[in-house]
Amino acid sequence: MAGVIAAEHLTKYYGRSRGVEDLSFEVAAGEVFGFLGPNGAGKTTTIRTMLDLIRPTRGRIQVFGLDPRTRGPQVHARIGYLPGELALYERLTATQYLDAFASFRGGVDPAFVRELAERLGLDLSRKISALSHGNKQKVGLVQALMHRPELLVMDEPTQGLDPLVQQQFYAILDEARERGTTAFLSSHVMPEVERICDRVAIIREGRVVTVSDIGDLKARALRRVEFHFETSVNGASFDALESVVAVEAHGDTVLLTVRGPLDEVIKEAARHTVVNVTTHEPSLEDIFLEVYRNGGEAP
Amino acid sequence: MSGLLTKTLRDQRRALIGWGIGLAVTALMYAAFYPSVKESAADLNAYLEKLPEALRELLGGDYTSPAGYLRSELFSILGPVLFLVFTVGAGARAIAGEEEDGTLDLLLSTPVRRRHVVLDKFVAMVVTATALAALVWVTVIAVGPPFDLTLPVLDVAAACLMLLLVGTAFGSISLAVGSATGHRALAYGVTGGFAVFSFVVNVLAPAVKALRPLRPLSPFRWYLDPDPLVHGVHAANVVVLVAITIVGLVVALLTFERRDLAA
Repeated sequence: MAGVIAAEHLTKYYGRSRGVEDLSFEVAAGEVFGFLGPNGAGKTTTIRTMLDLIRPTRGRIQVFGLDPRTRGPQVHARIGYLPGELALYERLTATQYLDAFASFRGGVDPAFVRELAERLGLDLSRKISALSHGNKQKVGLVQALMHRPELLVMDEPTQGLDPLVQQQFYAILDEARERGTTAFLSSHVMPEVERICDRVAIIREGRVVTVSDIGDLKARALRRVEFHFETSVNGASFDALESVVAVEAHGDTVLLTVRGPLDEVIKEAARHTVVNVTTHEPSLEDIFLEVYRNGGEAP
Repeated sequence: MSGLLTKTLRDQRRALIGWGIGLAVTALMYAAFYPSVKESAADLNAYLEKLPEALRELLGGDYTSPAGYLRSELFSILGPVLFLVFTVGAGARAIAGEEEDGTLDLLLSTPVRRRHVVLDKFVAMVVTATALAALVWVTVIAVGPPFDLTLPVLDVAAACLMLLLVGTAFGSISLAVGSATGHRALAYGVTGGFAVFSFVVNVLAPAVKALRPLRPLSPFRWYLDPDPLVHGVHAANVVVLVAITIVGLVVALLTFERRDLAA
């Protein structure tokens, strides 16, 4: 069976400026697929072609095996969408807004709407114009989830949410996944994608750089680890470790670039007296560099 | 009734109340002035006789009869202006307004076809405009008689119908420009400019020979001539104004179906 989403050589130009270029990927039923890239990489362009808000210049994208261009309503009925630049009807209250969208969708379970709002901590009685950015985002999330769609398409879903609400959203997403929901989520931050996705496509300047399992990506990811020891330490003993890519030692401080698990490094460091250790998540740039070093292909 | 139509009508409730009060007060004001105008109608008519033909056409001409007065005052200028501000605004906001606000993305992500969005918004505009026209009609026939401004109910209805039709014709043009381009200001500007041009051409054409060939292009040409307050509904005028409205709607449907939405 074809994937829930299948992009084939998807290309979109806005006049002469590039949206996406020759994008191909497939999202299988039931998986949570991350779409990772910096701003302007083409994430929103890809998402908007899925919903037929914009049309491909070349290539195609299919959702549930259907062309969104010709079968829009059938496709849309099965999707819950959260746009990256959320704009709501400011003059309505959250309840009025969600009621309107429920009516566009032919009705939803009101108990589920209340449950979602409660879990995300959204006051439904307030006027949307009076809501903070984070609370508007919650309205957007409820709107996308309330009809229990088979496919969630969300562009930067956690932007503006405080960490506790983010966790609540992840929990809701996990439950949806248990019901068999497929999800396509864009993000520009690696930790979020690591937390919630099974697979990830990394997109840069309109092209897919790699599609890989999140586990592979983590295993290959470079991390920077900084040890602060009580006394001066010679970096050479770290250099010998297989997982260590680079070492910089300045007196009692050792800065390591490590690929994959930290186990070896921690054990080596433990032979000295450790005052402090900090690790830095790999930035997107680090990941890109790493992917490019591998010839742009997942292993 | 679709959810979107219900919502759009509800959104227009405030506009309906505002424009309704405005139009009703305008009609009431003109009715209240009628007794004093009637007294000096002979003088006014004599004065009008001396004016250049174009200006006379603009002012409407005959103040001696209730029909002439109402036509000159309510239906020639202020009525259409108020009406057009509503319909052109509704047409521009329908697609282009929502697109510029960014709310159209989510609306079109629901199981609704683009053409149904255009149609529902068009129907909502027509329904609200019809309510406004009905209000003008009721006001004139209710408040007119105490001020001696008594007209056949059906003739007033005919004039209100023509007001509605000229209003929806321009509203439909505005909807078409907004749907084709996604720019609200452009829809206002193009339609507003065309309305002013049409109005001026229609008024000046009888006096200015060079403008005469342009006159049929003016929707206002098909609005009050022959005068519905005297002759009732003129079928050909109805056909032309409805045709303009339909062309605008079709252009809106076809162009909006084909293009990308602005991000």
